[in-house]
Amino acid sequence: MEKVGWKSYLGNLLNMINLYKKELNYYLNNPIGYITVILFAIFANFFFVKDVFVISSASMKPFFNFLPWLLLVFIPALSMRIFSEEKKSNTIETLLTLPISEADIVLAKFFALTTLVIISLLLTFGLPFSLSLLTKVYYPEIIVGYFGVFLMSLSLLSLSMFFSNQTKNQIIAFLLSAIIIFLLLVLSTDFTASVLPRFLQDGLLSLTPFYHLQNFIKGVIDIRSVFYFVSFTGVFLFLTIVALEKRN
Amino acid sequence: MIWLTSLTKKFKDKIALDRVSFKTKEGEIIGFVGPNGAGKTTTMRLILGYLQPTQGNISIDNLNPIENRINVLKKIGYLPENNPLYQEMRVEEYLSFIADVKNYSDFINIVNQVGLENVLQTKIEELSRGFKQRVGLAAALIGDPEILILDEPTSGLDPLEQEKIRNLIKKLAKHKTIIFSTHILSEVEDIANRLIIIDKGKVVYDGKKPNGKGGVEKLFRKFIKYD
Repeated sequence: MEKVGWKSYLGNLLNMINLYKKELNYYLNNPIGYITVILFAIFANFFFVKDVFVISSASMKPFFNFLPWLLLVFIPALSMRIFSEEKKSNTIETLLTLPISEADIVLAKFFALTTLVIISLLLTFGLPFSLSLLTKVYYPEIIVGYFGVFLMSLSLLSLSMFFSNQTKNQIIAFLLSAIIIFLLLVLSTDFTASVLPRFLQDGLLSLTPFYHLQNFIKGVIDIRSVFYFVSFTGVFLFLTIVALEKRN
Repeated sequence: MIWLTSLTKKFKDKIALDRVSFKTKEGEIIGFVGPNGAGKTTTMRLILGYLQPTQGNISIDNLNPIENRINVLKKIGYLPENNPLYQEMRVEEYLSFIADVKNYSDFINIVNQVGLENVLQTKIEELSRGFKQRVGLAAALIGDPEILILDEPTSGLDPLEQEKIRNLIKKLAKHKTIIFSTHILSEVEDIANRLIIIDKGKVVYDGKKPNGKGGVEKLFRKFIKYD
């Protein structure tokens, strides 16, 4: 078995940081990273402004409720290339024949994407301040709302990374994860509630990220929802690592 | 030392490698030849732990590449077939990344050895095929590995570039074990001191490189019969 002393842990951590820097540099040195992040910020800001000035809703709640639908496109667009491009160009072989573990590869890529999600969410931080010019804003509630959206984004990132590792084709990776995220979102809508029997409805609803986001939007940190998002992320990261290990 | 014992690899029902066994010594330059699909790349990928064997055993300095993947990979420099590189990176950026991962600081020495000093700030995608191959070779050399595995290192290069890469391999060979695959039999004649011929997943010849011009080709034709 592999030696697991503290030097080994430190070496693994350093390698993960090296790969994290490389992945982040890719997005920061390529238009695709900027375009995706800026488009997210433009759409998020536009829909917020629309809510405030057209519907006259001086609240962040409609914004937080809308964000999952934006994440439906944003997260798959951001993560579709993360493994599929490596597979297409076969740089995955270069990467997997370097002394770096599969878990570190997956985590480094995940943290690089997480950094981009943080940057994207930071670009919407001006919204609560502009809202405070119109009405009294309760900041703790907004912070909890952002925390919920952040946790949800991590879950969807891990899911999209898993699908990116299943194919060499970025478009297929995008579509697969967008479809699954769409189904998860649709499951938590009123439409589904009206179609499905009650017992099935309740069971399925509690499995959807949007359902768990609702507490955060209300300003409540429900530990069960935190656990749900952390577990969701953990499960899909684990599945991605396993899939990467079973490369043959 | 690389030691393969009765190594078998199946992809679904297809047998890619059939009970392949050989042992290497330090300083050996092994020319690994065979027709397309014979099992050369599969063997190399198994040695690296990139693939898992269906049966048999692999030992790299008494370490199993599946159980000790990271430690085994620290001992091996690998140039994969078709040399996949991160095209969007600059040469220095790429080699620096590899050096960081291998925890090796002196990569500039390798840059000079391979002749990349004038293209360090060039994007890999803008390099000629020959220079790209040198980048791949430099990446394999970073970390001063005991073993070098080169999968068709001169494939697609013009004769002059082939010559340069061959000379480089010869220069490197003193304290390393080198396994290289190739379709150019004269290359084996030029640089190898041992020859392994593989066909349909089986080792059909493993021994000294025959002396004299055309010796490798004669041996190859003796063992390989095209359908």
